[in-house]
Amino acid sequence: MEQQMNNFVGLSAVLTGFAADTIAPNIDPINIKAEYFTKFTAEISNYAAILSAYELLKSQGKTDQEIGEAILAIADYEMPCRQLIFLWYSGAWATANGSMTSSEMLSAKSYTQGLAWQVMQSHPMGDSNYRYGYWANEPADLSGYTGNNN
Amino acid sequence: MSTTKDYDVIIVGSGVAGAIVAYKLGQAGKKVLILEAGPKIPTDRSNYMETFLKANIKSPESPYPPATQNAVPSTEENPLGLPDPGEENTPRYTVLQIGSWRKPKQSYFDFQQQQTGLTGDSPDANFAYGSSYERVGGGTTWHWLGTSLRFLPNDFKLKTKYGVGVDWPTALNNQDFYDYLVPYYEKATNEIGVAGSKEAMDKLYTQFDQQRTFGPEYNYPMPEIVESLVDEEFANNVTSMNIDGEPVYVTSTPQGRNSRAGERRQCAGNTNCIPICPIQAKYDATVTIARALQTGNVDILYQHVVSKVLLDPETDEVNGVEYITYDTQTGGKTGTGTATAKKYVMAAHAIETPKLMLMSTSEKFPNGVANSSGQMGKNLMDHIMYLAWGLSKDPVFPYRGPLSTSGIESVRDGDFRKAVYDDTGKLIKGRAAYRIEIGNDGWSWAAGDPFTTLGDYVFGQNNSHTNVSKQNGQGKDLQFNPSLGDNSKLFGKELVNTLNGIYTRQIRLGYLIEQLPYEGNSVELSDTLTDNLGLPRPKVNYQIPEDYVRNAFVSAKKVSTDIFDEIGATEYTQDPGEPVFYENKDGKPLTSSNFQYEGDNFIFYGAGHIVGTYRIGTEKSNSVLNYRQQSWDHSNLYMIGSGVFPTLTTANPTLTIAAMSFSAADNILEDLDS
Repeated sequence: MEQQMNNFVGLSAVLTGFAADTIAPNIDPINIKAEYFTKFTAEISNYAAILSAYELLKSQGKTDQEIGEAILAIADYEMPCRQLIFLWYSGAWATANGSMTSSEMLSAKSYTQGLAWQVMQSHPMGDSNYRYGYWANEPADLSGYTGNNN
Repeated sequence: MSTTKDYDVIIVGSGVAGAIVAYKLGQAGKKVLILEAGPKIPTDRSNYMETFLKANIKSPESPYPPATQNAVPSTEENPLGLPDPGEENTPRYTVLQIGSWRKPKQSYFDFQQQQTGLTGDSPDANFAYGSSYERVGGGTTWHWLGTSLRFLPNDFKLKTKYGVGVDWPTALNNQDFYDYLVPYYEKATNEIGVAGSKEAMDKLYTQFDQQRTFGPEYNYPMPEIVESLVDEEFANNVTSMNIDGEPVYVTSTPQGRNSRAGERRQCAGNTNCIPICPIQAKYDATVTIARALQTGNVDILYQHVVSKVLLDPETDEVNGVEYITYDTQTGGKTGTGTATAKKYVMAAHAIETPKLMLMSTSEKFPNGVANSSGQMGKNLMDHIMYLAWGLSKDPVFPYRGPLSTSGIESVRDGDFRKAVYDDTGKLIKGRAAYRIEIGNDGWSWAAGDPFTTLGDYVFGQNNSHTNVSKQNGQGKDLQFNPSLGDNSKLFGKELVNTLNGIYTRQIRLGYLIEQLPYEGNSVELSDTLTDNLGLPRPKVNYQIPEDYVRNAFVSAKKVSTDIFDEIGATEYTQDPGEPVFYENKDGKPLTSSNFQYEGDNFIFYGAGHIVGTYRIGTEKSNSVLNYRQQSWDHSNLYMIGSGVFPTLTTANPTLTIAAMSFSAADNILEDLDS
């Protein structure tokens, strides 16, 4: 179970472009990964195969870019992985219908944990930890939000 | 059941208007009862916040009861799971209902069928009304933006100055209504605790008011809210422009939120003024309700839905209001009663107030209360909004700070407002005025972002129009990153950098176009639809018939493109497509807000400014109320709120609603004591 969660977090970091310890820090009282893992495994029947594929590629010393490309190139894996990206960024489970996307918010917590707000160097609308007047100044560098060098 | 206490005044509605009158009367020692149809003001806002955070669509009404979405399982017919207004005790119209405005199981308002044979540009086309309100303790200020601009002197004299609409009445001794309001504007500014720059407003108001009649003690209780980086991008780069002869410059918006800690918290820039400020840095009417209750002279009863205004057949004065009580939203009535007082104040906003008046028929007054003029419910208006959006040259970091901190106010008045007609009566020149709001909300309103652009780059779609190579009207390529293919699907760093590049450049302008009073735009009673208490639902008729108003859309479209050019931005405003007025064999969905004009397709958005259904005026024959907001027909009846405005004017209404409510309180006190 723990290995599966590690694989889940590792795969999520590869796909989202955020550092693993940013989206799932060691000490993690918010623990949004658990909510997403539960959703992912409930929605995706071949989730175990996807996580195993990640584990294998990782063990072969592939880079994040190579791992992502390899997994998304597998037809059965691509849509689940893209839904997982959308989930991490929005907190909502998406269904892509041709040219449109519809989605359902998992919870209040998942909304506030959406990475979309981080990638824009801001905060979730309605949940700011900033102080008065911050909007008159430029935000911290993007890497401060993603935990990676971008 | 009946109320037994001897009240001086009964107020129907606990929004900003009712709250201010209750507070002022309570302060003067008068006994006041407020009857509020909705639930009580919560002791803290955590439940409303939780509902908001969980909502799939963060619409202005999303935090508030009754539930706006996912109330019933999603179906093809009802994908958002909108509740059935017929099964709710206090239903209200929400912006999620706009798309289903002709489905009475989903939309609260009854509607008028389209005439047959309309073309896309027909002035007779009916549209969905664009704006919504709340039926909860504290009213619609829960979800207001906070903009606290005064109207301009010429806004009150549209007919005399520019030949359209009507003038506001003059006050006692023929005083201009603007001058009459000046001291009340100061009171309203203080009650709301407006943060603003006196210097900026001096400059602006002097441009439109050479006499500088805006008041000797004019100032703001809080310093202005600091402007955003988005504001700066416009402020620094539009300085050489003019629009129809008026100079273009950016003005810091006076706004009802704390720029420093006071009674309420200092604004922390949650970027969520609409639908809900999580920390109440933004003023809302619950503040004034609390002040009213603290006088010890004001009582408030929640979940009391006033269903009829009663008249004394001898004197024609109001001698009571009937109400219905309920426990749960869908549970039906739990009781009825009558409440009485010396004076009565209707403050249920501009849809529910006329509905109640029209429902209150009697043998002597078959058209309802306060309706001898036939004007009750007529002249419904809203600032109909043109939205324009784009990507700035360099990052400006939107989605930070209050939703809007600045605007272009300098073009709100000018000779362009003068209507010129040819011999046949056709308008050949002149357009409605507008103010331009600068958004700090990226493409949140304009395109449903951040999740629209997210969907594009995760699933290879192009709903943001940034993910396919295509030129806009100015010959600029819309594809954000030309090195990516069309409909690119990204992950990892490439996704991060692409989304970051787009989100941090998103800019948006909103034009608040002044709609004219038009009798055909009205609130009536539905013949067939009722709510769960058995009360008739409003039937709302809504058109944009005047070329004068439509010309403002043409202007807004051109001006947006000019502004985006001036600041070096790429415009992404999308053609909204042709209107679809009728069921068709192609299965094209019916549109709600689309129209054509001079060869272009337009879509309008509501501004949330529900105005004009029980206007003040000079005569009993053409208005519901005198300038004192007292009914011409029943001398102990007053009506307050934006329904009293004869015209919409060029600013957001709440500051003027508040000012008018302070004036009404003075008038009622004077009448009580005489």
